[in-house]
Amino acid sequence: MAQTVGQQLIIAAIPGLPLLVFFVLTLFGRYLKEGAQFVAIFGVATSLVFSCFALFFVLRGDGPIDFAVNWIDLGEGGSFQMGVYIDGLAAMMLVVVCFVSLMIQLYSGAFMLGDKRFAWYYAVLNLFTASMLGLVLAPSFIELYVFWELVGLCSYLLIGHWFEKPSAAKAATKAFIVTRIGDAALFAGIIMFWRATGTTSFEGITQAAQAGFIGGSLFTVAVVLVFIGAIGKSAQFPLHVWLPDAMEGPTPVSALIHAATMVAAGVYLVARTYDIFVQSETAMLVVAYIGGFTALMAATMALTKKDIKRVIAYSTVSQLGYMMLALGIGSFTAGMFHLYNHAFFKALLFLGAGSIITAMNSYNIFEMGGLRRRMPITFWTMVAAGLSLAGIFPFSGFWSKEAIIGSAFEEHFYVLYAMALLTVFLTALYIFRAIFVAFMGEPQTEGAREAVESPGIMTGPMVILAFLAVVSGLVGTPLRDFFGELVAPSTFAAEVLGLEPHPFSYLLAAVSVAVGVGGIALAYALYVPKPERATALSRRFSGLYAFLDNGWYFDALYGALFVRPAMAVGRFVREFDQRALGRFVTGVGRGASGIGERLRPLQSGGAQNYALFILVSVLILGVIVGAQYAFLTVALIAGIALVVVAVGARL
Amino acid sequence: MTPQVQQFLDTLNATIPLEGYLVVGAIMFAIGVWGALIRRNAVVVFMCIELTINAVNLSLVAFADYLPDAGGAGVGYAVLVIAVAAAEVAVGLAIALAVYRTRRTVNVDEVNLMKG
Amino acid sequence: MIIAFAFLASMTLLAALGVVLSRSVVHSALFMSASFLGVAGFFVMLNAPALAAFQVLIYVGAITVLILFGIMFTQRPQVRRFRLIINRQFWTGLAVMFGVGAFLAYTLNIQDWAGTEPGNGPREVAALGEILLGVNGAPPIFGLLFEVISVLLLVAIIAAIVISRRKTGEEVDRQGAEE
Repeated sequence: MAQTVGQQLIIAAIPGLPLLVFFVLTLFGRYLKEGAQFVAIFGVATSLVFSCFALFFVLRGDGPIDFAVNWIDLGEGGSFQMGVYIDGLAAMMLVVVCFVSLMIQLYSGAFMLGDKRFAWYYAVLNLFTASMLGLVLAPSFIELYVFWELVGLCSYLLIGHWFEKPSAAKAATKAFIVTRIGDAALFAGIIMFWRATGTTSFEGITQAAQAGFIGGSLFTVAVVLVFIGAIGKSAQFPLHVWLPDAMEGPTPVSALIHAATMVAAGVYLVARTYDIFVQSETAMLVVAYIGGFTALMAATMALTKKDIKRVIAYSTVSQLGYMMLALGIGSFTAGMFHLYNHAFFKALLFLGAGSIITAMNSYNIFEMGGLRRRMPITFWTMVAAGLSLAGIFPFSGFWSKEAIIGSAFEEHFYVLYAMALLTVFLTALYIFRAIFVAFMGEPQTEGAREAVESPGIMTGPMVILAFLAVVSGLVGTPLRDFFGELVAPSTFAAEVLGLEPHPFSYLLAAVSVAVGVGGIALAYALYVPKPERATALSRRFSGLYAFLDNGWYFDALYGALFVRPAMAVGRFVREFDQRALGRFVTGVGRGASGIGERLRPLQSGGAQNYALFILVSVLILGVIVGAQYAFLTVALIAGIALVVVAVGARL
Repeated sequence: MTPQVQQFLDTLNATIPLEGYLVVGAIMFAIGVWGALIRRNAVVVFMCIELTINAVNLSLVAFADYLPDAGGAGVGYAVLVIAVAAAEVAVGLAIALAVYRTRRTVNVDEVNLMKG
Repeated sequence: MIIAFAFLASMTLLAALGVVLSRSVVHSALFMSASFLGVAGFFVMLNAPALAAFQVLIYVGAITVLILFGIMFTQRPQVRRFRLIINRQFWTGLAVMFGVGAFLAYTLNIQDWAGTEPGNGPREVAALGEILLGVNGAPPIFGLLFEVISVLLLVAIIAAIVISRRKTGEEVDRQGAEE
């Protein structure tokens, strides 16, 4: 659908404005200081308005917005464009990203007050927003990859914002390296697609795949490689190890990047390239089972954590697993719906955690207690988010989780259904464990006793997000599925999947709600009346406890398998460089000066000596020139030079 | 006169080949170079240099005499060489005097500040 | 002719050897002027009598006297031992000498000098004059060279005076140097 230039500019400004803000804040940040937040908020707010415009445009039915400019043109098979493609999915994502980013930037004004690098924080935050928006808009693999890398970079910069802390610096490096593995696989997949079809645009590849340009097993391999990229970015098994450590970054960063947007990029990638994915059944199964397994695994790891941010981080991994599961079994709309809901309540959970740290400077839930009375707004918003996460009717999480679990059952993926249901139980258990321990009971430390509610600019966004956590699901109820109309798989994908819409099953809904409530009840029983019960339980099952607490020992495993050999190689190379090469280089230097010392006696200071040398040289040259022998030249010069040096040294 | 005596007188009167003069010049040059290399007294070194210059002059004049196309230019060059050699000896002896005044020696190998 | 040549050659070369090997500096100077006289004789044999006159006047006359004055001003006590007048390069220098001599002789003699006859030298002084001025068939560059040489001689005189004059405050040394 053609747009006027004005409309194209507005669309281009959606990622363009935050990018501009980034440059402005980088250059003038030291003069703006605290004023940086206003510049940033203005930028994002405007982008939000423009995103709503885009959404409106798509809702009106004018079709996907699609325009591009030529970027590189190397001829056949080598032309790349930079463009924009907005359909329902992208429009929804644009609004979500802008909105959550706006909430975070408002919140950060109070949270990051007094930080040494206040303006730089806002600058990178805006760069991230711009990159994420660009990623959402991308119509081709290459453009997506460019922004993919950019969000990875911003994640590294933001996790390591307090890089004076060694743990933060290490966490940033770990995040970057682990996602790099995914990025490498993604790039390999892109190259494979490009070589097979000559184009990197999603449309082009889809059409080529339909027409059968790519062979069966090659196609599956390429698709799986692309999915591995998504695994890295979305912290799925086995590349999930970076997300818990990423909590070293400031809490608003965790809320924005590691809850709502960047980690959703992997899910978004699968959704965006759904037309390609559905053509390979194997790939779909891989997606679904990895998603399901990750959901269960992360939920178990969250059960034992003391750090509230870590609990929420594992929760993110688990919920992303749900989304992958949904996409893998063909429930495109359900997966995206959960992404949309999850953005709001997960961000809210993180903001609540940030509120607690601002109030009492500790993340350890066992140092909290009784905060319900001292920080009521935080308490009630977190409860709302927790209920939504646990999937309790009628909060937003219920609708989307129901859709996923229901589809799993209806499509006869019973193993996945069992995994998902068990995960529901564990989810409710761990989140309410955290909430009960933190907010109920008696204050455990001085800090908990002194805690006060956070300032308005922090609680304001929290309240807004809590409201959304409750009602955002209402756009996708079985009564009137607005969401499903907007965000649906393409007709081609729907055909390939051959899915029939199934009615809402009250029985399944009741089962999962009951399981969720059961989890909450267990959490209450274990932690509220007599908290010692929980400690006794953990001691009884200390082996299992340790296994869960150490993240199924994945970090230790990766450390032994990959990190230690890599460090050993690094150490070896450094030693080699210092010892062997260093010695070689200094040896050359010493050799030169040594030869210089040996040759010193030649300079005897006597003019007649010099005259002797000159004459001998002239004689030799004369002989050689006269005789015109080439090899004689070399031999004589070498021999006579040696003789003269020997003679001269004695004279 | 007997034929042998006549023959003897003829050989005595034969013209000297050019090579003869050149060989004499070469040997004189070599002797002069040798002397310049081995004598310690600076003035004697000058004298040996004069020997080499004279050897060169000898060769020049020999060529001038023997080669028909040269137009006798070798002699002109020899005159110029004599003039230059004279100038050189004057300046060189001035230098030797100056060195003698400060260092009280004319031995060449005692002036070895450039050693090392 | 050959007798004359042989006599002059032996005189020149033996005198040259005498310059190099004599233990007394003054003897060396006298040997040197003997060598110059030999060369003058050669010039006569080579049909350049004017040049022979120049040689005697300048070399035997002026330069020998100059050298003798130099010896006088740099007087050293006479040494008896051969060792003290020769430096350590004696044998190496001998080798070099043979090398140089052989090289020169070889190079000059492998040329084909057939067809050359003596008699082209400037027998008359006028011919020599024409050559020096670069007219009448002589290379014209001689005109320039002649003038340049006169400038050179002027410069040499001034240089010699400047280098060897006493600086103000320097003592006049009467006696020659100590050992």
